[in-house]
Amino acid sequence: MEKAALLRVGVLVLVVLAVLTAVEYWVAVGGLGGATLTLLALLALAKAALIVDYFMHVGKLFQPESGGH
Amino acid sequence: MSVIKGLIFGLVGFAIGEGLAFLVGQDPFSDTAITLGYIFFLIGWLLGAGVWDHWARGWFGLKDKPTPTLASNGWMRYLMFSTDHKVIGVQYLVTFVALFLLAGLLAMVIRIQLLNPNGPLDPQTYNTVMSFHGIVMIAVAVATMIGGLGNYFVPLLIGAEDVAFPRINALSYWFVPPVAILLVIGSLLPGGFQSGWRVYAPWAERVGPSMLLFLMAFLTFGVSSILGGLNFLVTIIRLRAPGMTWGRLPIFVWGIFSAALLSLIFTQFVATALLMEILDRVVGMAFFAPDQGGGAVLYQHIFWVYSHPAVYVMILPGFGLMLEIITHFARKPLFGYKWAVGALLGIVGLSDIVWVHHMFTSGLPDFINAAFMTATELISIPTGLIFLCALGTIWQARMRLTTPMLFALGFVFNFAIGGLTGIFNADVPTDLHLHNTYWVVGHFHYTIMGGEIFALLAGMYYWFPKITGRMYNEALGKLHFWITFITFNLIFAPMMLTGLFGMNRHVAEYPPELGGINQFISLFSFVLGAGFLVFVYNMVTALVRGPKAVANPWQLRTLEWHTSSPPPEHNFHHLPQVLAHPYDYGVEGVPAHAVVAAGAAAAPASE
Amino acid sequence: MTTAIAELKYQIYNRRLGLWLFMLSDSMVFLALLAARYYMQGTHRPPEVNQPLGLVLTSILLASSFFANRADASIAHGDRAAFLRHIGITIVLGVAFLILVVAVEWPEALHFAPPSTGYGTALFSLTGLHATHVLSGVIVLLFALLKGKRGGYTAEDHFGAEGSIIYWHFVDLVWVFIYPTLYLVG
Ligand SMILES: [Cu+2]
Repeated sequence: MEKAALLRVGVLVLVVLAVLTAVEYWVAVGGLGGATLTLLALLALAKAALIVDYFMHVGKLFQPESGGH
Repeated sequence: MSVIKGLIFGLVGFAIGEGLAFLVGQDPFSDTAITLGYIFFLIGWLLGAGVWDHWARGWFGLKDKPTPTLASNGWMRYLMFSTDHKVIGVQYLVTFVALFLLAGLLAMVIRIQLLNPNGPLDPQTYNTVMSFHGIVMIAVAVATMIGGLGNYFVPLLIGAEDVAFPRINALSYWFVPPVAILLVIGSLLPGGFQSGWRVYAPWAERVGPSMLLFLMAFLTFGVSSILGGLNFLVTIIRLRAPGMTWGRLPIFVWGIFSAALLSLIFTQFVATALLMEILDRVVGMAFFAPDQGGGAVLYQHIFWVYSHPAVYVMILPGFGLMLEIITHFARKPLFGYKWAVGALLGIVGLSDIVWVHHMFTSGLPDFINAAFMTATELISIPTGLIFLCALGTIWQARMRLTTPMLFALGFVFNFAIGGLTGIFNADVPTDLHLHNTYWVVGHFHYTIMGGEIFALLAGMYYWFPKITGRMYNEALGKLHFWITFITFNLIFAPMMLTGLFGMNRHVAEYPPELGGINQFISLFSFVLGAGFLVFVYNMVTALVRGPKAVANPWQLRTLEWHTSSPPPEHNFHHLPQVLAHPYDYGVEGVPAHAVVAAGAAAAPASE
Repeated sequence: MTTAIAELKYQIYNRRLGLWLFMLSDSMVFLALLAARYYMQGTHRPPEVNQPLGLVLTSILLASSFFANRADASIAHGDRAAFLRHIGITIVLGVAFLILVVAVEWPEALHFAPPSTGYGTALFSLTGLHATHVLSGVIVLLFALLKGKRGGYTAEDHFGAEGSIIYWHFVDLVWVFIYPTLYLVG
């Protein structure tokens, strides 16, 4: 991928992660006053999926021939 | 070389750790001081043994020093930090055969104690001997097959030059000596090992420093086998020679692959369980203290999440090696190769959802016990498939009954008994009576000793000419087999009976009416032990003055026999090209499994 | 020349696969500890837990991952100056995280949940083990920084940098699960 595009994706992922974190915080300590384990687990899994895919580039694991970037 | 330098660096590290503990006001024999001392000892040991010279210098922009190979430094190479998988394989084999014989001697001590209802040892010494025997044999069962035979032969069997990460491979071997040092020192300290190899909380947290050394030794060994598992996975996935497709992979390599997968994922659980006990002891945490908010059987859960798969880490390479040897000496294609591979992978899948069958007496709700009972019994399906593959292969075969073949056939017989007696441990109603009796001891030894150790012995005879370049004495080998096979069955079948009569394990004494049967067992144990003198004599004399072995003494198809005995530094003089299935003996029109010749493989190594 | 590049790519992929398998294995330790927290304490959470601190810790790690990702993209395109800059920011954020955990979170927690209690056991074991991972992550990033300064990485050959950055994301990934488990649930 082009460098500029990579950086743009990075910013976008950070924004989504920040929003998800804010939602977590809000449902647990803010407005809703207590979150269920299921809801928190789903939010955490969503964050984890973003990190694994866009930051850790898990996809490269499935392209053995491409080697580097 | 590496050993001495490692010890010096290690002792310096130990002094640093103890010094730090002293600075924060800890007694030198407190758990904190010993833990710190050991952590720094381990770092110092590894750096001194070779990590600094051959690895870490590179991190600081310096040049790494070369490591010895199979062709350099004479026999001293076995005392050095070598990255050659064949040197490491021999290091593992020699270390763990020595440990195996030591733990076997301890088994003799146990049998001396049990000659009489009230033996000469006091209960605490007896428990130390029993725990030492247990943990060392567990280590032997886990590491000799994978670390020893796996290291030496997986790269050869797949046509690779070495493993994927040679330095990590060396590292995982050099984790082993500290384990042995800790265990020996710990067994001599007051208190000894009182808890058995499972080190159940809370007892393991309440005995003096000796138990702490045991926990740290076990944890260190866990790290070593995780690194080993990782290395084998990448090696088998990536380093196969051109033409070595998954469908042509020798079945022993499949066994190692399955075991490596289990080892990689599940060993971390026992490491965590042990770490929790260490944290409870050193930091005063409350993991296993229910009165403070911990969990009463939490330790058992985490421990068995690993330790059930651990028996498959031991037995799956054994399955693979047994099928491998049976196929070669039956000189027929392996019956149901794909089913055997599927069975190995099926066991990997099932083995992580059965751990509660070790905890049927710990008071869990019935619906949990029932679910785990069902899952456990499902495992008999893939295991049964492996049996059928073995039986289908020897069906109507003109077998060559060499020593390795005899041991492999002994495996089939013993493991059938081990498997069938296991059903009664998997069933909740019967297990409630059999739990913690000698029935379990007998069952377990039938599977691991009668199975895995038999496969290991088969493998050591099978590959002895390849490793040493010399031939062992076939008559002595067969003598060793018959002594082992007959006495083994005369020991462990009656032992299961004593369990049915209510004899408890882990106890130094037993009811007087069981005296006769125990004397019978002890007597044959001593014969079994003496049989191993034949093994040692055979191996040592063959090594010194056995006849020279040719490259392929048994005219077999797999790749390790396509190179000299012992193999050259990078295993093959040319890149092997794999053409056909490894086991197609006597099949019309099938080419050789592989050719190793200049220009045979045009494709680059990366394909 | 082409075979040399093919060989390099082959080696890099092996190391990447090894790293992922290591992380898979390592995450089992955290899985066991997270499970132990729920096993021992259910979703119980003491009311004294410092919520703003948890949010700050999470934000720091997420931000550090963002900069680590920029460093990764930079070195992959041969931009050494940007790589060094971003890896430097990542390290600073990592050290800040460590300082907050050791100097603020732990002394506070000692008051309302010492390690001898159920919740304290979960908190100190999870954050302690995570902090050792953060520390090791900072150390490997420092090595990558030093090697980058010496000019040790190119656009084609920089797995040392890429690997330490992936490991750093892994440290962040683990925290994504530790944070709700210790701070939010219940
Ligand atoms: Cu089991």
